[in-house]
Amino acid sequence: MIRFEKVTKAYAGHPHPALDNISVDVEKGEFVFLVGSSGSGKSTFLRLVLREYRPTSGRVYVAGKEINRLASWKVPRLRRDIGTVFQDFRLLPNKTVTENVAFALQVIGKSRKEIKDLVPETLELVGLSGKGDRMPDELSGGEQQRVAVARAFVNRPMILIADEPTGNLDPTTSVGIMKLLDRINRTGTTVVMATHDSGIVDQMRKRVIELENGHVVRDQAQGVYGHQA
Amino acid sequence: MQLRYVYSELGQGLRRNLSMHLAVVLTLFVSLTLVGMGVLFQQQATKAAEQWGNQLQITVFLCRNGDSNPVCPSSVTDAQKTEIEQVVQDNPEVADYHFESSETALDKAKELYGEELFSGDNPAITAEDMPQTIWITLDDPEQFEGITSAVKGLDGVSRVQDMRKVIAPILGALSMLQWVALVTASVLVLAALLLVANTIRLAAFARRKEIGIMRLVGASTLYIALPFLLEALVTAVIGVLLAGGALAAVQQFGIEGRGDDTLKFIPWIGWDEFWLAAAAVGILGPLLTLLPTLVLTRKYLKV
Repeated sequence: MIRFEKVTKAYAGHPHPALDNISVDVEKGEFVFLVGSSGSGKSTFLRLVLREYRPTSGRVYVAGKEINRLASWKVPRLRRDIGTVFQDFRLLPNKTVTENVAFALQVIGKSRKEIKDLVPETLELVGLSGKGDRMPDELSGGEQQRVAVARAFVNRPMILIADEPTGNLDPTTSVGIMKLLDRINRTGTTVVMATHDSGIVDQMRKRVIELENGHVVRDQAQGVYGHQA
Repeated sequence: MQLRYVYSELGQGLRRNLSMHLAVVLTLFVSLTLVGMGVLFQQQATKAAEQWGNQLQITVFLCRNGDSNPVCPSSVTDAQKTEIEQVVQDNPEVADYHFESSETALDKAKELYGEELFSGDNPAITAEDMPQTIWITLDDPEQFEGITSAVKGLDGVSRVQDMRKVIAPILGALSMLQWVALVTASVLVLAALLLVANTIRLAAFARRKEIGIMRLVGASTLYIALPFLLEALVTAVIGVLLAGGALAAVQQFGIEGRGDDTLKFIPWIGWDEFWLAAAAVGILGPLLTLLPTLVLTRKYLKV
């Protein structure tokens, strides 16, 4: 589903590349944690998947497409196969929960009927049925993140990318979000989650890819956050 | 494509940036009006030049019956005309020439002053009163003295008029007005472009959250840019309508409604010329807002 082949990404003006010749393969339906300190290259990894950047060298394949060679006008189509969740939720404050989720479908041209079916169904999946008319600022942090997950998943993408989704949440709430991501993963969606939260990684026992200074220093099935003795 | 979002964004965008949009509309209005005026002045100059001959021409007035000039005892004879024509033909400075009969001169006068003066049992002016003329076009308009002196003393010539002396001030004024209008217009057009650019930047900033989400969920670039393009189109249409109205007012009250005033000897432009100016404004207006919008949305909304 996601394949990095000897990928290097260097930014202009930086002496060291953000990613240095890494090769990673993520299968369909996998759940992968991307761990590592700040500046280790996690965000660059996710941005390459989203084709916000092109790699400096090497090849990146996402959902069967080689993103190096993907024309700009085809990028929106690629992104419809990828859902994205961020640490800061990024909800539209002037829209209700339902409108926030529906927005993702409206702007890619889904019909009113599809939106009417999919939005309540997805809100139910994330545990927010009955809260569709609330405004984002009337919700707790955990609930807001659930709205963000619903918006990322409402189009049933093949891949869900989560960049520190629990970074702003307390541990109990974080567990709820992780359960939700796990449920989404069980529907067959590939989940890639960058995180600093060692508790969660240790608890979930999923594949862990650790980055350090742009290198993959560990790639472990059913891993934990820190190095194992 | 579902356009509900686009329309609601269009309305919101127009309201949110109302002062900027008003600035764009007003600048467009004034600059387009000036462009239109420039076109009208240019048409007016062309029309005047058609009537009086262009600036390279000199006109030789031949003697007529009852000529006020003492060198003309009677109307020019055919022999005199042949001799004058020979002199004109032999002069190296002459590019082209043609005779104009009294009847043609009368027709031109009728066109300017209206039929009434020339019809009826006892018309104020008849063909008899109009002099025959030779219209001479020179290779180099500065060299008019040679031909003037060559023709001046000939029998049958009443007077020689360098048309530049008559028309130059009028054409000069028209040309200056045209340039003043166009130069002012181009400065304002630049201001309009900058305003449009600023408006887009503000609008893109105000919508940065929505735009960020639209990009992430895979909305097409066109879909993201559409509210901006429609906003540009709306301001352009309003600007064009205002400018067209102003030009129509100039045409109606400034030119058509001038009445029997003293400037009647000038052939004035009509509604045909107005529509030409309106078309120029109608094409230029949308271009002025849509082009920068297309360029800048590509920059600000880059995927």
